[in-house]
Amino acid sequence: MVGAPRGGGELIVTTALSVTNVTKRFGGLTVADNVSFDVPQGARMALIGPNGAGKTTLFNLISGVHKIDAGSITLDGKEIKDLAPRTRVHAGLSRSFQNIRLMPHLSVIENIMLGQHTQASGLGALLQPIAWQRKSIWRERAIESMHSAGIKVDPDASVGGLPYGVRKKIEVVRALMSRPRLLMLDEPAAGLNPRETAELSAFLKAVAWEGLTLLVVEHDMSFVNDLCEHTVVLNFGRLIYNGPTAGVHVDPQVREAYLGTRKSDKKEPSHVA
Amino acid sequence: MTDTGSLAKPRFTLPGPAIAALVVVVLIGIAIAIGGQVIARQVVSGLMLGAIYMTVAVAFTLTIGVLNFLNFTIPTLFMLTGMVAWGVLSQGYLSFAGNAAWLLALFIGVAVAVVASLIVERFTFRYLKMKHGDSTEHAIPLVSSLGFLLIFENLVLIAFGSDSQRFKVPFNADLRIGNIVLGVPQIASCIVAVAAVAALTYILKRTKIGRALRTIAENPDTALLLGVDVSRVVPVVFILTGVLAGVAGALFTVNYGDVSAFMGDNVGTKAIAAMVLGGIGSIWGAIAGGIVVGVAETLSIQYFGGNSVQMTVWGLVLVIIILRPKGLFGGSAVGKGKM
Amino acid sequence: MSGYLAGTLAILCINLIFAYGIFVSAAAGQINLGGAGFQAIGAYATGFIAGTLGLPVWFSIPAAATISAFIGFLIAFPVLRTRGVYLVLATFAFGEVVSGFLLHTDTFGGAMGMVVPVHIELWVLMLCAIVVTLLTFYLMATRLGLAMRSINDDEEATVVIGVNVRAVQVAAFTIGGAFTGLSGALYAHNYGFVEAQYFNALLSIYVLLFVLIGGAQTAWGPLAGSLFFTVLPELFRVGGAWRYVIFGVLIVLMMVIRPEGMVTRDLVRKLSPRQWWARRAAVGS
Repeated sequence: MVGAPRGGGELIVTTALSVTNVTKRFGGLTVADNVSFDVPQGARMALIGPNGAGKTTLFNLISGVHKIDAGSITLDGKEIKDLAPRTRVHAGLSRSFQNIRLMPHLSVIENIMLGQHTQASGLGALLQPIAWQRKSIWRERAIESMHSAGIKVDPDASVGGLPYGVRKKIEVVRALMSRPRLLMLDEPAAGLNPRETAELSAFLKAVAWEGLTLLVVEHDMSFVNDLCEHTVVLNFGRLIYNGPTAGVHVDPQVREAYLGTRKSDKKEPSHVA
Repeated sequence: MTDTGSLAKPRFTLPGPAIAALVVVVLIGIAIAIGGQVIARQVVSGLMLGAIYMTVAVAFTLTIGVLNFLNFTIPTLFMLTGMVAWGVLSQGYLSFAGNAAWLLALFIGVAVAVVASLIVERFTFRYLKMKHGDSTEHAIPLVSSLGFLLIFENLVLIAFGSDSQRFKVPFNADLRIGNIVLGVPQIASCIVAVAAVAALTYILKRTKIGRALRTIAENPDTALLLGVDVSRVVPVVFILTGVLAGVAGALFTVNYGDVSAFMGDNVGTKAIAAMVLGGIGSIWGAIAGGIVVGVAETLSIQYFGGNSVQMTVWGLVLVIIILRPKGLFGGSAVGKGKM
Repeated sequence: MSGYLAGTLAILCINLIFAYGIFVSAAAGQINLGGAGFQAIGAYATGFIAGTLGLPVWFSIPAAATISAFIGFLIAFPVLRTRGVYLVLATFAFGEVVSGFLLHTDTFGGAMGMVVPVHIELWVLMLCAIVVTLLTFYLMATRLGLAMRSINDDEEATVVIGVNVRAVQVAAFTIGGAFTGLSGALYAHNYGFVEAQYFNALLSIYVLLFVLIGGAQTAWGPLAGSLFFTVLPELFRVGGAWRYVIFGVLIVLMMVIRPEGMVTRDLVRKLSPRQWWARRAAVGS
């Protein structure tokens, strides 16, 4: 459901997202300081860091909510730093928000179909009365995605009254509907119970298996350990770690960032984060 | 995402006063230099009118700056003051006060405006609960204020009719400065208007409640975190609005002597124009804008006739909002947030 | 049909089309407080084309709607750069500029007003009202309508979903301009006379209130709002100023009790036959 499977038998690992020397200042505050890292095609990468490290800001820079001051951002080798946010969606980038940003007056299915907007090009698609058509291809695709994500609610229900975990999932599905090549999720597991977290992790692994690249901001380290093989760590807008997730909790710089000191060796970053 | 929904950030600091004073001095200077005393007299009477616009514009800018609320009842509060004052005076309720009856009537008028303003607060912000924060939800206070506009204006029409009425003030002394003749009511108005606005800036700058208002203006969420009791501070905005609109209405009544149910419409229009000109959310901008609009109006009526005022003023407002939403005098940028 | 009833129906049709014109942009999160300006453009355009130029009415009315739509399209680009208080003031200023312009332009009769030839029958008004209503329902059901509603709910998130927010808003403003202009043209031919003073700020305020009190979330809202505020005063037969006082009180109470308007999406969802049957089935089993 998420584009054609890619790179099955190839040996060359291509880069999906490349962030190079990205710098951004708000007033006197440097929120992204010469940040560079690559996300390989099909990888599941986590972006972690203490509160205020600049994780969401980096998401906003990559998705185009804010323009970068210096550096470059490429998606599949194509420079996107000067593109408008919606053009980046067309280029294959999709994201979710830290706080759920579903449209409160739209139903579940309408929220999901909204995510198809970039797929529905042309005046004909724009003027198709999708709300009246019970059997349209758009609705069927949306329902199919709902089911594969394990969302078992009335598609025509209002999103307002649904449980937090369900709304969170709907947002992920909505982000997937644009058939992105890179999906960026901002704290997808926040507020979910352990069972829901495990379900989400399994679902994301399944979509990544089909060739989707994942970049996830997350505080829940068990979720990160389960889902992501690579992790980058930010602190005060600077990149302090880039490597396998398994190595994060033994890295001295990361420990210092989370614990404020090198001495206390007892706590794991996961507990503080 | 980050705080793109943030509210107004009114500037109450320099160089506001300097700009305002400079504008006045330059206008009078230019007038005397090129036109002699005829123009100078027009400029002075324009300044009086400008003082009234300024006071109403400050009321508008205060509610937008602090509450992000375009309060359409302000012109009716202005009108209520004049009509109530005329009403109590002409009915003879105040004959016990002798020569001071007109002054007492104006005080009653301002008091009624303040009460009316508080009623507006009761039925708008007191009940306002944002469920989703979508665009049309942000228009709720605006819609309520339009409802109150209809209520107040039509109640006055029912009580006093639609005719223009004469409000008699028992003095009409003149003052001469050089060759310029000034009416005492005009000078008094100017002083009262400036005093009212000065009092407001003092309140905003120096008092506890004023600091609370400024905190809310900068960021309502921060204000909550800092322990500002928003529900107690909001009525203060409406009291200040009522006082400013009421004082302006009283000054207009004394200066021009004519009151009617529609007297607020024109002044409200010009005050909005003045606010936009000076930069929405900026008190000093509203002051400078009020003076400019007042003087420009008297001069353009003198030289171009009064017909084109509506189109010119609103055309100017439209152009400024589109090209320079910060206003002509810099100031602050409100309206990043929704309505 | 009595003349009185016919008159009320004509007003209802005109108000309804006018309200849909304002609704289309309100549904996309744009509060337009310059409705009277667009209506005036439609009214004067048809008056000029049918009267001064002497062209037939079947041409002049669509032409008037097109002209109004085109002006809506042109003004949308600068005006929709603003938002919130600024947008309200900008649209309000636009309405004032239009009525001020018409008031002082002799070609259009100035303060004397303009006589508009050719009276149109009530069935034409009703047909237009029905077509506009159906068109609006259709529009709200399309993907474009979905994008509009999304912008109203959360503009920032809509951008990141990949919707060209500006284009959608300009489209909504243009369609709104066409409807409003059409209502003005119908008004002109129904009354046979237009004057600039009629298209004042109060008219813009009323039509916006029809929409927001009726509910801006679904296309049922303007229908409810126009019906309520056109028919109710006729029923009570209260005249003059009291009518407006009651109108004002209703508005204030509505905002307290039901701030999202008379008809909300949740209400429509609850009353929809499918949902109703689903609930019946659930209770029965």
